[in-house]
Amino acid sequence: MSRPLSVIVWVLGALALIVPLFYGCGAERRGQPEAPAITADNPKEVKGQRLFHRWCYQCHPGGEAGLGPAINNRPLPHIAIRTQIRKGVGAMPAFGEDLLSDADVSAILAYLDEMKHSPARK
Amino acid sequence: MLRTRWLVAVLLVGSGCYGMMDSEGGGDISKKTARKGRRVDPTDVSVPKGYRVEVVATGLTFPTGVAFGERGEIYLVESGYSEGERAMRPRLVEIDRKSGGVLRTIASGEKGPWNGLTVSGGSFFVAENGADGGRIVRIERDGSQKVLVDKLPSNGDHHTDGPVVGADGWVYFGQGTATNSGVVGEDSLLLGWLDKHPDTHDIPCKDIVLRGSNFKSKNPLTPDPDDEAVTGAYSSFGVATNPGQVLKGQLPCSGAVMRVPAAGGAVELVAWGFRNPFGLAFAPDGQLYVTDNGYDMRGSRPVFGSADWLWRVERGRWYGWPDFAEGRPLTMDFYSESRGDPKGFVLAKHPDTPPPPAALFPVHSSADGFDFSRSRRFGYVGHAFVALFGDMTPNTGKVEAPVGFMVQRVDPKTGVIEDFARNRGDEKGPASDRGDGGLERPVAVRFDPSGDALYVVDFGVMRMTSKGPDSQPETGVLWRIVRNGGRP
Repeated sequence: MSRPLSVIVWVLGALALIVPLFYGCGAERRGQPEAPAITADNPKEVKGQRLFHRWCYQCHPGGEAGLGPAINNRPLPHIAIRTQIRKGVGAMPAFGEDLLSDADVSAILAYLDEMKHSPARK
Repeated sequence: MLRTRWLVAVLLVGSGCYGMMDSEGGGDISKKTARKGRRVDPTDVSVPKGYRVEVVATGLTFPTGVAFGERGEIYLVESGYSEGERAMRPRLVEIDRKSGGVLRTIASGEKGPWNGLTVSGGSFFVAENGADGGRIVRIERDGSQKVLVDKLPSNGDHHTDGPVVGADGWVYFGQGTATNSGVVGEDSLLLGWLDKHPDTHDIPCKDIVLRGSNFKSKNPLTPDPDDEAVTGAYSSFGVATNPGQVLKGQLPCSGAVMRVPAAGGAVELVAWGFRNPFGLAFAPDGQLYVTDNGYDMRGSRPVFGSADWLWRVERGRWYGWPDFAEGRPLTMDFYSESRGDPKGFVLAKHPDTPPPPAALFPVHSSADGFDFSRSRRFGYVGHAFVALFGDMTPNTGKVEAPVGFMVQRVDPKTGVIEDFARNRGDEKGPASDRGDGGLERPVAVRFDPSGDALYVVDFGVMRMTSKGPDSQPETGVLWRIVRNGGRP
């Protein structure tokens, strides 16, 4: 790849990640009890739901902001969220494979997807 | 590898710096507003479809518990105290089911708070907290009182709480710790007790061995602003400890669930290693559960990011305080705001391996009184309904948004939590700051004897100030949530 083209690809890539981050900061989705509860429809989402409540919920209750920021409103690609979980960002700690296996992280991501699309969050 | 580093860099830029962020909790909001009084409107509270919210009583002063008579009588305790050392007379009253007013005062006390209320065998049981320590008091219908146990160690940060009577006829209650994480510090003065009770410290329930970790702080008990004190765990302010130092276990003790016969007698240890075991309830299968308020980001040994917990109580077990949170060691990065600055243990040897909690509530949410559904008509049989008082930031730490101020439903078998009653709309936080008539600070819930109605005790308006919490009398509310019909 030529150098100018490489720079353009990197800049576009950065924008693709940064823009959704800031977009998400201003548009948290609030759950309302009168809406249907989030349903975990398959074994992977059920596993993700339990892991989420074990490891994530205390800082992101219902995916909303609490100690940490809201995460039910960020259209980040899975690779970015997976990296954030593995490496930690800011005050968020890193969750190594001794705490969460790759399959565990995948299950959490599946539950997060369900959460974002749940009527309770719209 | 390059891609991973690049992603981390981008995420760091996007995340901002947590350490520089202002806290935006319910306590932070409330200190900026100056509304007086309270409007009450059940339509401002969102509950699952098929349920509705009703107002039972208003104008209550610092209520902390509700219970019911055999014929549906409603009894309620006004604690007579609020954090910030606001003291009034605690009292037990009967509420008029039609008007919501106080029908009669059954009993009152000299010192509050009276925390929690239960009825069993025609008697009332409350946890009383006075200058001489905590007590469990049995009150008869004629107002006469008998102290079942006294001199409980409740002169520190946390009180004696939540009496419930088991099928075995014993009264089970929680006793909070004197400190946030085992060490008396400057925060104890801000909480209003270090100058009054300078010898107070945590008391272990069984023998422990200390690592000899000591913590330096300013000494607010002397006029010299530069004076410092060095304090060890389980020690009075300014008293250091040594490696290998053994402390003998005692009863009563700090951070424990204990029990006493309903007729009075010697207190027994049920379980220990809790921090502030506020609410107790037996599940339909007879299993005892307890809510426990997690660590705060304050004092000489601040702990970051600790949840509140629902524990399944096993007899004789140690649950981790002051070296574990939610079953995880405080040496993990999780519990330091600045990673790379892990907490050290204060105990040289741990009495047990703490179990994971049945459920983890949001950080700083203050998970308090709770009850289990037993009615198929109400729904969710076996699930716990938990009052979340709401954050008291910035005094307890900081958050990005208000946390708590609602009632949650917990499946204790899976640990999955759903909001059950919370204020409607996009703004979080107590109703008084949102300018509507919804929930303020739920502190307890209790199903009526039929199991068809969930009563929610709302403590009322409490604001955070630079001098500590400031609560408004006569702003407490008793709510009721009932099922309209249809399956949840």
